[in-house]
Amino acid sequence: MTATTEHTVRVPAPRAAAPSARTRRTARRRRLGAAGVLMAPFFLLLTTVFLIPVGTAAYLSFYSDDQPGLGFGPERTVFVGLRSYAAVLTDPTFLGGLGTVALYCLIYIPLMVAGALLLALLLDSGVVRLRAFAQLGLFLPHAVPGIIAALIWLYLYTPGISPVIDLFARADITVDFLGVHTVLPSIVNIALWSNLGYNMVVFYAALQAVPREVIEAAVVDGAGPVRTALQVKTPLVRASVVMVAMFTLIWALQLFTEPMLLSQSSPMINSRFSPSMYIYDAAFTRNNYSLAAAASVVLLLCTIALSYGVTRLTSRNSTAEEAR
Amino acid sequence: MPGRHRRRSVLAAMAAAPLAGALGACSGGADDAPSGSSRTGAKKPVRVTFWSALRGSQEVVDAFNRTHDRIQVDFQQIPSGGQGGYAKLSNAARAGNAPDVATIEYPQVPGFAIDGVARDITDLVDDRLRARLLPQAFGLTTFQGRVFSVPLDVEPMVMHYRADLFDRYGLHVPRTWDEFADLARVVRRKAPERRLVLFPTDGATQFAAYSWQAGAQWFDTRDGAWNVSLADAPTRRVAAYWQDLIDRDDVFMNAVESRQSDAQIGNGLVLTRLSGAWDAGAQMNARPGQKGQWRIAPLPQWDTARPAVGTHGGSTFAVTKDSGNPEAAMEFIAWQVSHPDALRARLSSGTSSQYPAASALVAVGREAFDRSYYGGQDIYTLFEQEAEKIRDGWVWGPRMTATGRVMQDSFARVPAGRGTLVDAVRAAQDGTMPDLRALGLSTTQHST
Repeated sequence: MTATTEHTVRVPAPRAAAPSARTRRTARRRRLGAAGVLMAPFFLLLTTVFLIPVGTAAYLSFYSDDQPGLGFGPERTVFVGLRSYAAVLTDPTFLGGLGTVALYCLIYIPLMVAGALLLALLLDSGVVRLRAFAQLGLFLPHAVPGIIAALIWLYLYTPGISPVIDLFARADITVDFLGVHTVLPSIVNIALWSNLGYNMVVFYAALQAVPREVIEAAVVDGAGPVRTALQVKTPLVRASVVMVAMFTLIWALQLFTEPMLLSQSSPMINSRFSPSMYIYDAAFTRNNYSLAAAASVVLLLCTIALSYGVTRLTSRNSTAEEAR
Repeated sequence: MPGRHRRRSVLAAMAAAPLAGALGACSGGADDAPSGSSRTGAKKPVRVTFWSALRGSQEVVDAFNRTHDRIQVDFQQIPSGGQGGYAKLSNAARAGNAPDVATIEYPQVPGFAIDGVARDITDLVDDRLRARLLPQAFGLTTFQGRVFSVPLDVEPMVMHYRADLFDRYGLHVPRTWDEFADLARVVRRKAPERRLVLFPTDGATQFAAYSWQAGAQWFDTRDGAWNVSLADAPTRRVAAYWQDLIDRDDVFMNAVESRQSDAQIGNGLVLTRLSGAWDAGAQMNARPGQKGQWRIAPLPQWDTARPAVGTHGGSTFAVTKDSGNPEAAMEFIAWQVSHPDALRARLSSGTSSQYPAASALVAVGREAFDRSYYGGQDIYTLFEQEAEKIRDGWVWGPRMTATGRVMQDSFARVPAGRGTLVDAVRAAQDGTMPDLRALGLSTTQHST
């Protein structure tokens, strides 16, 4: 987004530089005006759907409706400093939720990136017949809203109504998709099903941009299809791999819909399973808005730090590679 | 093209519908005002709004409205607390439009009092009403000497048991927990597919009642602070007792609010149910086919020389902070909890075995109750004896729903071999403290 706007602003600059100072000034003003008009919707949305909510959350996390002692007295709003943050960070249920999400990311992100890339490479190499059909079939689950997807999978996971479990039972295999050890993989499965096709399309588009000459050169040099895919094409779509990994990470940290729905069927998913569920529980069953706000800010900071870490790490790696 | 046209007109109609509704509501309001002012002010009855999830509330309200001219009650049936009723009440209070009278179960009373939803009604509760209600029940709604809600029913925990199966296997009703544990072993030996009882994984309130009976004090409010000790010695004793039964596979362990549990009761796989007095009526409604098979006995005791029980269930009525007419609201509450006609109206909606907090009403409940389901047993006399044994001094915590939930989350992991009941209680305490601290309450933590 920023790249395109810079582009539109900069391109006419050399042409406008020649005439008198006055026309230059009007041109400049006009350009600024145009930039302002074009950017206004973005900043308006940024302010209303991001800055104001984040600001409100930050405010709520530092203030609280307090009553001294047992709490039965009259309420007054006071500044409480980092009290809510201290409470969140000493709450074992919140830290447990962070741990759960960390484990989820460790399973989910590699599977997602590797799976989507593999499918994209297969489609790109022409091995797959009925390419358009395969693409559509893989992409379609992404069009299903997350809550519907979770409902469908809930049906497939619940003993007694699930045809899948029935089928396994007939072969004398007992499967429990919602047990202590299986519940997290079951959630990963839902997320993979929903998003694999979307990320595959991103990779496929990036692969289309790989210059054909490079691939022809590789083939002439005697690289087989597997080697071409792994050592020629994959490094060339590195930027999209990083982007997909980062978006997947941000999305995964906010894990909410799937466990929220599955929790109705499995006691193994508790009401504070993930940080987002903790926030929901703090606000709406515990009526503790300061605590919920503090937890939200902590989650936001974690997300920003991790995204920043990923970009820094990958950009350093690529500059190191280029230097080589 | 015609297709698009039609769609647009449908959209227009959809947009207009709520608008029309709003206009209608406005005109309705405008109609009311002049008619009210044209009459003399004194004749217009005071309107009191009332929310409840309790069965038979509509009948109670109808009976009240028939016999009262000065106060008229508008009733709205809402979902039960856990099903969204409490969230609805909290949100309404936040928005400033809570009903005058709300129904709150005992464990949630301190939470709603702290949040400023339930009003301090100490001055509105007169001595006559106070004298009519069981003091242990009032104790549960009184904090720092201030009353926040009025008890409707109080439910001592009792033991419902299958008399026919006890006879078939030659079992005796256990009077102590030791006898109960021995009996659990005998049942499993004599009938391997049956168990004496279920330990409910979703039963934080049942577990609280067991601990309460054993002398636990999860919360107390001495020295102006919430002193929390969920894993105190009596609780650890109760937890160890049940853990033992679970480890030996002498009891079932699953959720009680589940089809599995329904099947266990329906198929006679479980021989006793430990729950509040109200459950006798609920059982009759749920399983009319088991008529004559059940009896009720006192809960087993730790020390028969000093008998005690806890409660399981029971509701109270609170006047909210938003109420414009707390005196009228209180009059309705007082009538509802202490007038025989109120209980008669409630019972007319179906069978119930709730044990009224007003002892004068016990006779009304006994009279209306069909004894044949329990083989002619006079269960109200039993309830009366058990209610006297309710241990005084129990205090529910400020965030009981959340505390119970964390406990149940850990209970549910016990059958999978993850942790023990004591771990679950400790986890509940660890998960509660940050919450209380973030609310700005004074707290201390204990483990003895």
